[in-house]
Amino acid sequence: MAAAGGGWAAVCHKFRTARTLSAVESRKDPETEPYRSKYSARALLQEVKQLLSAAEEGGEARLLAVRRAVLEYELGVNHTDTEELSAGEEHLQRCTQLLEPHRLSPDCVSLYIQAQNNLGILWSERDEIKTAQTYLESAEALYNQYMKEDGNPPLDPSEHFMSEEEKLTDQERSKRFEKAYTHTLYYLAQVYQHLEMIEKAAQYCHTTLKRQLEYCGYYPVEWALNAATLSQYYLSKQCFMESRHCLAAASVIFSQAGQVPSAEDNETEQDQQDLRQRKAEIARCWIKYCLNLLQSAQKLLEDNIGELDPDRQLELKAQRKKEEDEKEKGRKKAVLFGTSDICDSVLAMEEKVSSVYPLDFQEAREIFLVGQNYVQEAKEFFQVDGYVTDHIEIVQDHSALFKVLAFFEEDYERRCKMHKRRIDMLEPIYADLNPQYYLLISRQLQFELADTYYEMMDLKVAIGNRLEELDSHTIKKINSLAQLAIKYYELFLDSLRNPDKVFPEELEEDVLRPAMVAKFHIARLYGKLITSDSKKQLENMQTSLEYYTFLVDYCEKYPNAVRAVETELELSKEMVGLLPTRMERLRAKLSPFI
Amino acid sequence: CSFSVEGDAIKVYVRVRPPSEGTVLTDGDQSLCLSVLSSNTIRLHSKPEPKIFTFDYVANMETTQESVFSSVAKNIVESCMNGYNGTIFAYGQTGSGKTFTMMGPSDSDNFTHSLRGVIPRSFEYLFFLIEREKEKAGSGKSFLCKCSFIEIYNEQIFDLLDSASAGLFLREHIKKGVFVDGAVEQVLSSAAEAYQVLTMGWRNRRVASTSMNRESSRSHAVFTITVESMEKNNEIVNIRSSLLNLVDLAGSERQKDTHTEGLRLKEAGNINRSLSCLGQVITALVDVGNGKQRHICYRDSKLTFLLRDSLGGNAKTCIIANVHPGSRCFGETLSTLNFAQRAKLIKNKAVVNEDMQGNV
Repeated sequence: MAAAGGGWAAVCHKFRTARTLSAVESRKDPETEPYRSKYSARALLQEVKQLLSAAEEGGEARLLAVRRAVLEYELGVNHTDTEELSAGEEHLQRCTQLLEPHRLSPDCVSLYIQAQNNLGILWSERDEIKTAQTYLESAEALYNQYMKEDGNPPLDPSEHFMSEEEKLTDQERSKRFEKAYTHTLYYLAQVYQHLEMIEKAAQYCHTTLKRQLEYCGYYPVEWALNAATLSQYYLSKQCFMESRHCLAAASVIFSQAGQVPSAEDNETEQDQQDLRQRKAEIARCWIKYCLNLLQSAQKLLEDNIGELDPDRQLELKAQRKKEEDEKEKGRKKAVLFGTSDICDSVLAMEEKVSSVYPLDFQEAREIFLVGQNYVQEAKEFFQVDGYVTDHIEIVQDHSALFKVLAFFEEDYERRCKMHKRRIDMLEPIYADLNPQYYLLISRQLQFELADTYYEMMDLKVAIGNRLEELDSHTIKKINSLAQLAIKYYELFLDSLRNPDKVFPEELEEDVLRPAMVAKFHIARLYGKLITSDSKKQLENMQTSLEYYTFLVDYCEKYPNAVRAVETELELSKEMVGLLPTRMERLRAKLSPFI
Repeated sequence: CSFSVEGDAIKVYVRVRPPSEGTVLTDGDQSLCLSVLSSNTIRLHSKPEPKIFTFDYVANMETTQESVFSSVAKNIVESCMNGYNGTIFAYGQTGSGKTFTMMGPSDSDNFTHSLRGVIPRSFEYLFFLIEREKEKAGSGKSFLCKCSFIEIYNEQIFDLLDSASAGLFLREHIKKGVFVDGAVEQVLSSAAEAYQVLTMGWRNRRVASTSMNRESSRSHAVFTITVESMEKNNEIVNIRSSLLNLVDLAGSERQKDTHTEGLRLKEAGNINRSLSCLGQVITALVDVGNGKQRHICYRDSKLTFLLRDSLGGNAKTCIIANVHPGSRCFGETLSTLNFAQRAKLIKNKAVVNEDMQGNV
């Protein structure tokens, strides 16, 4: 047998060179010839293949088949890497055919799984996701079956071209095998995502992260960022326990990044800045966590006019006592990250903030404070100079935190002060912002400022209603808040005008509701303005009527709009019916002698 | 103005290049994978059913450079004079005629060539309009034009006008929007000068060849002209400024592998092989959770961030999708047409947050 002795050593050497060329050298290829090393590797692999065929006679059939399968696999990967899919597919198919009878044996299982992985990739590149799915799912099944029936660390494909003394340790074998399987799961996550099986995709992403931790195959910063991002998926599903777990793990793993000295140990300023940015990004994920938890609690607790419903509050408190524990413990086992000491740190991190709905001001305030701390942390990096959009988004979150905290506050005066804090943070930013480049944010700020003034005015009216008689100070305050609200709503509506200053005939779908709500609120605000001058009052009523009429007319002309503003439309219709009569009466009072 | 009535959707133009010289064309030629049905529809001879695509404009093989310029770029250059930002993207597979459409034939002196492309013609037209304005307004109005030319490669930014510079950073200014920190800005006084700067930078681009493709650009190149006008009316000074971005996207065939995927459109498939792309997968999961407050740690690509205004602000944007009609290019042509189809759906979005819609 030619491949024995010195001949075999030469074959092994060629094979190893090919692998090094492909995996290591190819990274250094010039940009003008990106595949140079891959092409040389391919040539070497072909040579090895020829040598093997020459040695065929007399060799043991099974051994030869497996070796040939390894070569077919390498050639398949090589061709797909260099954008030659059809050739790649042929080689990979040949590899799996050769291995088919032995796929459950320890010397073949890993190679078989990796070949299936690569076939999965190949078919996804042809936009045939379903075909990709079958290959990957069969790889997953094979892993599970092997682990159940055998479970010993299987041979790594590269070992087929190694001499006895070079062979890997069991520990190394196991590491490589598990890594191949982690890749299967990661590819499946993508396949499920493309097939819009989102929940399943998320579960596979979670498992991939988990396995990366278990087998130490991760970069702390990257891992932390991925976990933080996954937490945002759970947020959108209202799974606060899972979300918090991901965030706590992200924070814990991120803190490792600072401790491990980087490869060259001469961290540039750029690296430092990157690290600070990542930290701020994770902080922003925490902010969203606090915000969502508070807002979801508000949704549960509010009555039909958006105030805290005390009956509901009592009911939820009783319910929480009953069920909170058992339910979550079962779920928790399934998603826990990390081995013991990481796990302990993660749990300690979790304890700093609740993952159940806050039901009163005290509980809400604790979550608010955590969120506010992260706001400060995030702002340290995302300063307005250089990071306009990010900075403003953080300020908007801060404002939203205050808004939802105000919901839990019973004292109207103090609630009003919270809204004033929002104004104080938003108004100066808005004043500086150039809408030519930041039109969207600019509109958001206009609307939010308008809404905040509107809310403050409502609170002042409520406070005033408790008094025997409205004093002139309160009246002044109410009127000025109303005027400011009107000002910002009008600014928002003006931003919708075209360059010739004309308000659009038909509103774009994405601004339809806000525009209509702005019109509706302006109508109400004119109705609320307090004046002792009857003529002025009549004018205000007239303006109010015009805005209500706009809503009614618009919806008549564009019936599609009705859906977006049902309640507002109903009330507007009512007012359009009522106001003229009221105005008539007022006119009669003004000129009683006509 | 004529443009005040049009919507904000991105306009999409498809241009079919003629097959390489020497091939004789006959109707119903088997070697062609598509036919142009009208000035806005194209039929792809896919099996079993042919597929019809509709775009804002389809230029067939006979369309002249002049006609492409008038239907694609003229309007955008005019808007630019009126204070709008404008962006023209070129998209397509290597060899589909992108460079010919944008720059012209690869001879040395394109600027006077009768087949010169969209870019030199845009320069000419821009400076023609500026001269005309100046004449009309007399000494009361002045213009300042500056340009920069950057390349985005592997999510890093390089200055093509200063080949010695290292990676640059994108930053934002509350008054001036997004800018490339430290990019060289060159003052321009004529179309010829603009063209000179462009060709100089163009030579610095990164290209690569593989056994499948002869030469493909691996990077996105963004040439930006800032037009600033200053008008004096008595004591009042009125300053207006706008940007014209000319973008040459990396060859579309390379996008899936290099992750420089230009406009973040939903890509059909293609598995990311590297575990370090896990974040992108998760991000895609979170994107679906609409309406809810969430933060995505991974920023948009550098290109989308830089051109955010063109993709979602008050700007006029168009994409020229170039395709090769040969049947061997079927796959790439299909994917280019699919991309172009999706691009039509990008609207200049200005959504107000769900949360801010207010209570009754």
